[in-house]
Amino acid sequence: MTDTLWSLIAFVLTLAILSYAIGDNPLFRIALYTFVGISAGYLAVVLIDQVIFPRLITPLVNPSTASGVMAIPLLLSLLLLTRLSPRLSFLGSLPMAFLVGVGAAVIINGALFGTLFTQVRAAGLSFTFPQSVSSGWITGMVLLFGAITTLLYFQFTGRREPGKGIVRPAWVEWIARIGQGFIAITLGAFFAGVILASLTVLIGRLDFVLQFINTLVP
Amino acid sequence: MVMRSPVATAIAIGVGLIVLLGYLLPLPVLDPIRRLFLDWSIILAAVAGLVAILNLFKAHWRKISSSRERDYYSLFFILGFILTAALGLLFGPTDERVRPLIMSIQLPVEASLVGLLTITFVVSAVRLFALRRSWMSGIFLASTIVFLLAGSGVFLTSGTSQVIKEVLAALNILPAAGARGILLGIALGSVLTGLRVLLGMDRPYSE
Repeated sequence: MTDTLWSLIAFVLTLAILSYAIGDNPLFRIALYTFVGISAGYLAVVLIDQVIFPRLITPLVNPSTASGVMAIPLLLSLLLLTRLSPRLSFLGSLPMAFLVGVGAAVIINGALFGTLFTQVRAAGLSFTFPQSVSSGWITGMVLLFGAITTLLYFQFTGRREPGKGIVRPAWVEWIARIGQGFIAITLGAFFAGVILASLTVLIGRLDFVLQFINTLVP
Repeated sequence: MVMRSPVATAIAIGVGLIVLLGYLLPLPVLDPIRRLFLDWSIILAAVAGLVAILNLFKAHWRKISSSRERDYYSLFFILGFILTAALGLLFGPTDERVRPLIMSIQLPVEASLVGLLTITFVVSAVRLFALRRSWMSGIFLASTIVFLLAGSGVFLTSGTSQVIKEVLAALNILPAAGARGILLGIALGSVLTGLRVLLGMDRPYSE
């Protein structure tokens, strides 16, 4: 009985969301607001249950751990909560600065070792000796050429000319145009991937709707 | 020029440099400090998330209590939020009594929204081509159609000629090249943004 009730709720909500295909309507909005409310509530619970309690409250309550050190994140957390009050929100800039500082360092490290070095190394792999067959070389050259032209597209340094604004050298302009083509192809491929993925999910939802109707019809 | 929030700037630069040096230099003294700072930042990120959620709740509460621009839809947000938060805090987020809220409300709505994207994307792609007929949008649309066909599996049948398979394999290199360029661009941009924060040129934390 309870399962049927929950399935009915899922069925009604699915129809309410899909009804947006014929235009914005109150049913869609009700489903959306309820969804956002439940998601926000669940996320708050997960943050409290999985992070704040085990990492902050438990070490503070437990006398065996270094409670003194944990006073600093507790103080920073309390300062961060002042962001909820417009009058005291200036106090929240200190924990935010801490967060931004650590975040910047993590981002630099991740970008350098996670993307920059690995991608540059991968770009050169096709030209290493054990794999230096002709097809590997051609693939490597296309990949390298595409990556360089794509990067050059985002290079906006040029000479200021009266009436024209910033003008890039003609050769950069040409290479950037090729890069623009590579970007268009890449975004098109990504777009196709997203459409295919969302289409699969849509088919899943429509299948659920049909199955639920089948259970209602004797 | 008077520097705004010098203490906050000093904290961001100091903490950021310690963590970055902890990553880059193999010094035993820096590693525990880096780990400690990372642990604290996880706690602070969770509290920041909580503050953001409470701010959202406040905004919706204001909407239903305001006499001038009352929004009755916000009532559904408030009800959903309170119900989930109360049950979750009482029984825990993985409890059997909380799970139906996720499985029968959050998951179907999420999946339906993703499904709805199909229609939105197709309509917007057609509009893009109708409004802006440039060579860039032409390549974009052609690439979308080619990779839609390739991804749909129509060329995976045994009847497909070897030439088409070779052409598709060659075509797959093109988006990989562009993606590598975009990835490198994002990485360079991230390094630059991070360095601007660590040098105190950008201060997104100040009032």
